[in-house]
Amino acid sequence: MMQGKNVFITHLFRKRAGLAALLGATLLAGANGWGAAQAAGPDDKQKPARGGALVYLEQQAHTNLYPPAGGFYPNGGILNQITDKLTYQNPNTLEIEPWIAESWAVNADATEYTFKIRKGVTFSDGTPLDAAAVAKNYDTFGRGNKELKLPISEVINNYDRSEIIDPQTVKFYFKKPSPGFLQGTSVIGSGLVSLKTLALPYEALGDATKIIGSGPFVVASETLGRELTLKVRPDYNWSPAKLEHQGRAYLDEIKYIVTPEDSVRIGALLAGQADVIRQIQAYDEKQVEDEGYLIYAPSTRGVNNSVVFRPDNPLVADVRVRRALLHATNTDEIVSTLFSANYPKASSIIAKTALGYVDLSAKLSYDIEKARALLDETGWKFGANGRRQKDGQTLELSAYESLPQPQNKETLQLVAQQWEKIGVKLNVLTADSGSAVMNNLDPAKAPVSPAMVGRADPDVIKSQYYPTNRNVLLQKGGNSDKVQAFVDEKLNALLDQLASEPDRTKRLTVAGEVQNYVVDQAYAIPIFEEPQAFAAAPYVKGVSFEAVGRPSFYSTWLAPRR
Amino acid sequence: MSRYVIGRIGQAGLVLWAAFTVSFILLQALPGDAILIKFLNPELGLGPEQIADIRASYGADNPLLVQYVHTVANFLTGNFGYSTHAGVPVGDLILANLPPTLWLSTLGFLLSLILAVMLAALSALSPFSWLRSCIQSIPALFISTPVFWLGILLIQIFSFQLRLIPIINPGPWQALILPVVTLAVPISAPLAQILMRNIDHVLTEPFVAVARAKGASHRWVLWKHVAKNAVLPTLTIGGILFGELLAGAVVTEAVFGLNGLGGLTQRSVNDQDIAVLQAIVVFSAAAFVLINLTVDLLYPVFDPRLRVRQGAVA
Repeated sequence: MMQGKNVFITHLFRKRAGLAALLGATLLAGANGWGAAQAAGPDDKQKPARGGALVYLEQQAHTNLYPPAGGFYPNGGILNQITDKLTYQNPNTLEIEPWIAESWAVNADATEYTFKIRKGVTFSDGTPLDAAAVAKNYDTFGRGNKELKLPISEVINNYDRSEIIDPQTVKFYFKKPSPGFLQGTSVIGSGLVSLKTLALPYEALGDATKIIGSGPFVVASETLGRELTLKVRPDYNWSPAKLEHQGRAYLDEIKYIVTPEDSVRIGALLAGQADVIRQIQAYDEKQVEDEGYLIYAPSTRGVNNSVVFRPDNPLVADVRVRRALLHATNTDEIVSTLFSANYPKASSIIAKTALGYVDLSAKLSYDIEKARALLDETGWKFGANGRRQKDGQTLELSAYESLPQPQNKETLQLVAQQWEKIGVKLNVLTADSGSAVMNNLDPAKAPVSPAMVGRADPDVIKSQYYPTNRNVLLQKGGNSDKVQAFVDEKLNALLDQLASEPDRTKRLTVAGEVQNYVVDQAYAIPIFEEPQAFAAAPYVKGVSFEAVGRPSFYSTWLAPRR
Repeated sequence: MSRYVIGRIGQAGLVLWAAFTVSFILLQALPGDAILIKFLNPELGLGPEQIADIRASYGADNPLLVQYVHTVANFLTGNFGYSTHAGVPVGDLILANLPPTLWLSTLGFLLSLILAVMLAALSALSPFSWLRSCIQSIPALFISTPVFWLGILLIQIFSFQLRLIPIINPGPWQALILPVVTLAVPISAPLAQILMRNIDHVLTEPFVAVARAKGASHRWVLWKHVAKNAVLPTLTIGGILFGELLAGAVVTEAVFGLNGLGGLTQRSVNDQDIAVLQAIVVFSAAAFVLINLTVDLLYPVFDPRLRVRQGAVA
């Protein structure tokens, strides 16, 4: 019903008197995005109530909380409450707005960034968040720290050094143009932490109580692997300047409880034992909505949930084979069979709501005749067993299931059924994470692989495909020593350009070129735009999400339960 | 200290060392390692040079022997290292997971004993043979109940429907009720079965006939003569089951979201978190060795013959 909008919020109070008001609120939320979700619900005129503890059920325990490791959903859900960022990316407009930095200046070729730091900001250990602290944070994130084993951050490219101009002004220098840096200062992975935290070795940062930020909440206590309690910081007074809500957070406390079992999380929410839960599968959405609870499914605005090829494997080295498989994949069927309206069908390799998106639906059509013709052209003929064969070889591919992606095994199995129709076999394999990581780096063992990543900047495409980043196509020179020869210089040149083009308009044009190129080469088959799915009780107000779908509880408050 | 004691302690040390070394070799033989799994994961998006740097800083590519000596030295000084996956000291992880496991398995075991004795008593005392065979088929039902399903069923009924016991944020005792029941039901089945079979068996023994001939009632015979004899084999099985319980409550822990050694072991195997696995192996071996050592050292105290022999040798 609201397809095409970046937000899907669904209320099941339909028979209630406030129907009209509610519809209005829903449309408003739809038009404005997640920042406006604060205003969603029938009680948006109510004044936020202060106090209370929010019980949040998480599917998995957090791992290392070094901010650049915040990409893992459970980590991001915690870091987003306890750290502040230099800048704030407005989740509705994707514009970069002031936060800890009051203002900034960038030189013409995006190699020098100067930030003016807001006065009076302190970490929860009492130390000041000033230019020196910011400089130390970025020196660590941008260059890593070998002694402390701290890895560099994925979102900071070409970092050279920092310079403290005065106590409230810091300047960063880059070796090459780094136009994505400004957005990079707004992501969870760039959360600012106290110098005490940065002095700890990487291995000690899995202890949440050691992560000292300047955020609206502070880690009060933790039972490893089970429970984490955040308490409000009463003196917090530096939320993003353009937010309506200023001062301390409304909640007194947030309790994170790890509850791995899906049915227990949902049952506990519906039984009133929990207020918000993370990770709810599409097939459970109806049950929750029927009880009058809310589903929040903010988009992760990055590279879509896709199936990618590893052309180093001779079976998929021919672009016609890859194109045949692309046209044999019926994404409509996958989305309608396995998912819900919260999982829009992909129309490019990045989400519609991502920066630089171009609509490539025409090139991604489901066309089984074309697929068959393409395969016939390559000389793969139907053999006796109904499979395509050539030179005594069968066109049989394998992919390893990715556990964090929603219903990934089911998705791959459905893809396998669809490919079966043109005589191609896809084996969907499951392995323990250790073996899966190792095998997935070998194009011979995993010629096909599921892939996705979220970030609201075109840099995300480079992150995903560049050989020395995530290297999903497994090019030579990247993280896999099993690759024989495959390198795509043209793709890499485009990606380099994308990461270093200082002019915004030109950069978005390059983003469009990359999307076209990846689809023309059929390196990836985009399937759907991946949301992060949460469910919340109706009395939980003001739940909002940052640009890539991690929750922010700063403005959340609890209305009286009915 | 007598030679006997020194010999026993030496043996215990040898067993510990062997457990450590064998597990070290086996864990190193696995394909990949925790560092690769952690840092190659797309969540960090690191390049190959950065990963190589990290590997070097962890000493992951040092020769095996160097790593071995290093690890032994660390263990001897009480430094168990850090979990690569969780990013916390291994000691903290074990401390967070051991007490819940001890509570859950001890209480679960006790409850399963009670259940087993109740079932056996009911079956032995039941006046009708159809009732007896009904009761005797209960263990088969118990053991074929999937723990996973039972746990979720109990949560649905007692927590979500009747709202008697919260599953989120329960009190320390409330938290244990449902998991203990979940764990006890399948464990009680083999115990009850063995107990019932033994009671039936002992009832056919001649001395029972004698007791009956002397005019003892059925209850008296069961309590005074049969129970004592039937309980011994049950205890043997119980001991084995308890050992399994300590590490085997993985499913129960997952359903109820509890910490525990079982779950920790399973996750660490999955992530090849070698430091954690190594510590778990050594801890379990140490517990086993300590219990045996205590028993061995107590033998001479209770058995005068051992003392005499020791004296003669010394």
